[in-house]
Amino acid sequence: MFDLSLGVLGSAGVALALAFSVYAAIAGAVGAQRRDARLQTSARLTSIGVFLAVTTAVVAMMAALLTDDFSVKYVAEHSRIDSPLWVKVVTLWAALEGSVLLWAWLLTGYTAILSVTTPNTALRPWAISVMHTVQVFFLGVVAFAANPFIVLAAPPLDGPGANPLLQNHWMMAVHPVLMYLGFVGLTVPFAFAMAALITKRPGTEWMRLTRRWTLAGWGFLTAAIISGGWWSYEVLGWGGFWAWDPVENVSIMPWLTATAFIHSVQVQERRRMLKAWNLLLIVLTFSLTLLGTFLIRSGVISSVHAFGDGPVGPYFLTFFLIVAFASLTLVALRWDQVRDRSELDAVVSREGAFLGVNVLFLSLAFAVLLGTIFPLLVEAVTGARVTVGAPFFDQVSLPLWMIVFALMGVGPLLPWRRAETQTLKRNLTWMLGAAALAAGIALALGMRKVYPTITIGLAGWNLASFALLLAGAIVPRARITGRSFASVFKSYAYENKRRFGSMIVHLGAVIVALGITGASGYRVDQQLRLEYGVPTAFQGYELVATEPFAERTGGRLSVGVLVDVFQNGRQVTTLSPRINTFGNQQMNVPTASVRYTIGHDLYLSLAGSVTPDAPSVIIRAVQSPMVTWIWIGGAVMALGTIYTLSPARERVRRRVTSESTAGVEA
Amino acid sequence: MTRLRTSRSLAPLAWLALLALLALAPAAAAQEQELDPRVFEIANELRCPTCVSESVGQSNAAIAREMRTLIQEQLETGANRAEVLVFFQERYGDWILLDPPKRGVNLALWLLPVAAALGGLTMLGVLLRRWRAAGAAHVEADPADVARVRAVLGATDVGGPAEEDDEPWRT
Amino acid sequence: MRRVFVSGLVVTMLGALFVFGLLRGQPDRDIPSNLIGRTSPAFALPLYEHYAAAFGPVLDLEAHRGRPMIINFWASWCGPCYEEAPHLERIWQRYQDDVLVIGIQTQDRDARAAGRAFIDRFGLSFPNAIDNDSRVSITYGLFGVPETFFVKADGTVMHKHAGPVTEAMMTERIEAMLR
Repeated sequence: MFDLSLGVLGSAGVALALAFSVYAAIAGAVGAQRRDARLQTSARLTSIGVFLAVTTAVVAMMAALLTDDFSVKYVAEHSRIDSPLWVKVVTLWAALEGSVLLWAWLLTGYTAILSVTTPNTALRPWAISVMHTVQVFFLGVVAFAANPFIVLAAPPLDGPGANPLLQNHWMMAVHPVLMYLGFVGLTVPFAFAMAALITKRPGTEWMRLTRRWTLAGWGFLTAAIISGGWWSYEVLGWGGFWAWDPVENVSIMPWLTATAFIHSVQVQERRRMLKAWNLLLIVLTFSLTLLGTFLIRSGVISSVHAFGDGPVGPYFLTFFLIVAFASLTLVALRWDQVRDRSELDAVVSREGAFLGVNVLFLSLAFAVLLGTIFPLLVEAVTGARVTVGAPFFDQVSLPLWMIVFALMGVGPLLPWRRAETQTLKRNLTWMLGAAALAAGIALALGMRKVYPTITIGLAGWNLASFALLLAGAIVPRARITGRSFASVFKSYAYENKRRFGSMIVHLGAVIVALGITGASGYRVDQQLRLEYGVPTAFQGYELVATEPFAERTGGRLSVGVLVDVFQNGRQVTTLSPRINTFGNQQMNVPTASVRYTIGHDLYLSLAGSVTPDAPSVIIRAVQSPMVTWIWIGGAVMALGTIYTLSPARERVRRRVTSESTAGVEA
Repeated sequence: MTRLRTSRSLAPLAWLALLALLALAPAAAAQEQELDPRVFEIANELRCPTCVSESVGQSNAAIAREMRTLIQEQLETGANRAEVLVFFQERYGDWILLDPPKRGVNLALWLLPVAAALGGLTMLGVLLRRWRAAGAAHVEADPADVARVRAVLGATDVGGPAEEDDEPWRT
Repeated sequence: MRRVFVSGLVVTMLGALFVFGLLRGQPDRDIPSNLIGRTSPAFALPLYEHYAAAFGPVLDLEAHRGRPMIINFWASWCGPCYEEAPHLERIWQRYQDDVLVIGIQTQDRDARAAGRAFIDRFGLSFPNAIDNDSRVSITYGLFGVPETFFVKADGTVMHKHAGPVTEAMMTERIEAMLR
């Protein structure tokens, strides 16, 4: 008899979506080739059908998770009855199969939206066909390689629950989704770039159509990386936010190339140059998302958070190779159309700065990629085993980052085409002054480390640059129109969303850089013995362990200790570092307790065991200056992206001084 | 905090159950002691031998804890950072150093990114020069005229069309 | 066409590298020991009481130089160690006149009871010592347990094996050392 269980429903949804997607990929391409409008429309409408079918599958999985339906393999392997509700929801993407399903679902959602909203251009049918082709791969993986919907003949009564490290922090509800939204968002410009190559229209059309998608994808990726850092900080128990682990590296590589991309597309938009370069960048970015997934899901490279090695490695590798080869070949075949016949007016110009920063971002991405796969490369060639760790990545990337930040201050001040040396010199003088002042203050305050001091100088440099940008925009206008600075600023910010938004994002980047500098340059990491009731000094604090505790909440057991924290004789907070265990899993998760302040964080984590009769407890205490700035800066970057993307109201045609200049712009 | 305090009434039996649970992990059995900040600085340069891609400073594995203790002892007997690193390198080989020594095959690792950055910038320089030569072939407007036009536009133009507003405003 | 060829070449090389990675399996296995060809580091560790009669309370490696040795590191929580223990015992039974087999319980702090249970379970008659603070583990550059070192009569380390050992494999090594 046919039994309609959730597993069967999910499998059916995925299978149906796969079949539809295969059809749409072909129909889109054939329709475009033959200029058959009906086929093209049919492919577009199919996108919606595919989305609905995968949505059905996702809903089935969610229902199975929430109702503890252990007949579904994924639920049986990764969920648990007494987990709290949010953990069950999050379990959808807490393991490999579910996360591929989520990825596929978001992809179908994007494709559906694209199918409806993209204006009718020659690119559209091809782009939608490419989106479906990518989708066929992901749905194929869900259907064949990592099917979460397999129905178990003998369902267990309960499951083991999600990975303890993942259910230990609510950030896990956010971070993976942001990451996939970013990856999927960057698929859209890739699809349009392919369409542009196929149709021999490598102009700016494809990037104008996808500008919002690219920016949104980049913004999601940025937010994902920062939130991932916060997750590591709170969960991994050693008070760090970035360890250059392969998982982190493969998320930053596409971010670096995407960052290069969103800068260099502007050069093409304004100056009609870099056609081939931009196409290669988006191919690289998209390929790196696939390569990264392969690297961390296949066990080829050792990574601390390679959650759930699975059978998907070879599939992702194959798809990566196909995508890389097909798209590079396409670029090569269209070389005559995409090669630049560029002309440049001045090296010191906006486009010059953007090109420079492009090279730097690419070099950074290359260094990270090389460091990540170097052990594999050496083993393949010589058989030797080598280690490449955080110190390498720091040493190689820090100088490059410094130049990036220096250029970040200069670039926006330079006009397109040429620099007026007079203005430039004046601006640079101000910025150098600010940089020297900031670095001087840092030195006076006793800072001696090289990179932190330079970073602080560069923060001053960039702040001066922001001030000059704003002043240059607002002061003359206010002077001419007689309006107040605030009102001119408001209309400037409002009418130049893209430019003002980018300033916010850059400001966020400066804040993040300061946070990273403080937290990694001046962190104090110490292991202390706290006798109960006896104050122990740590970095200007007095820590007093008061009593051990044990508690059970929602399938989680915690054993920890309460530590009263005093500063200048006054109690400022009570922290409760603990060790969590989940359900019947045998993994202990030392969970830190953090006092967040704007100046520095006090981070306590249990280093030894807690027993009720022991006279003392061993605590790992970390003081990290300015960590909070990283999260704040990340939020600022996200806000800046949102601001840039926020719909611009129809431009006020009436100009500020429309009377005096009527006709000039008409 | 009241939530925590009340839950402490969980008392003896639950404690035993919890402790039994915690004792299962080998990591929990390591003896812990106080460690200097310097210990973690050095430990962060060593790769934990039994872990997957973690440093001795980060890891909770039993051997990482023992290594931190050992580093503390070595520092107390007057060893410096380099000596401690050499001690571990002699036993585990270069593999244990997270900062790969700049010799042998590792030279490729250190030199390639530098070569890529320098090569990229050089290539960019060559291209820019070539493009500028192409750009210079055009008829140039009289700079004085340009300045006059800009003086008018620069001060009055609130920006171009919404999506193309990128000409910086200048004084 | 040349560009197509170049991109094909790049992709093929990357593909070859990663296929190698897939075929190789887990990355952190069988990392070569830095001790091969060097003198096996000395240590003196307390022995389980089972061996007091034959070896005294403490096993000092220096006192046993001059004959080939098999030094096996194990822990009571380690699954593969249970697999290999009978093989080690059989080897000891066969070669005890020529080869010294030493067991060292390591990375297993304050687990004497579990260690005793391990020894009794397999009736291990070769000396088993306790490396409570894992120092010898660090001295020998262990990447995990079990690991087994084969030391020649002149004291130099000939081979290290990571993972469980088998009787056949050890026999081969011993014959090589005795030759």
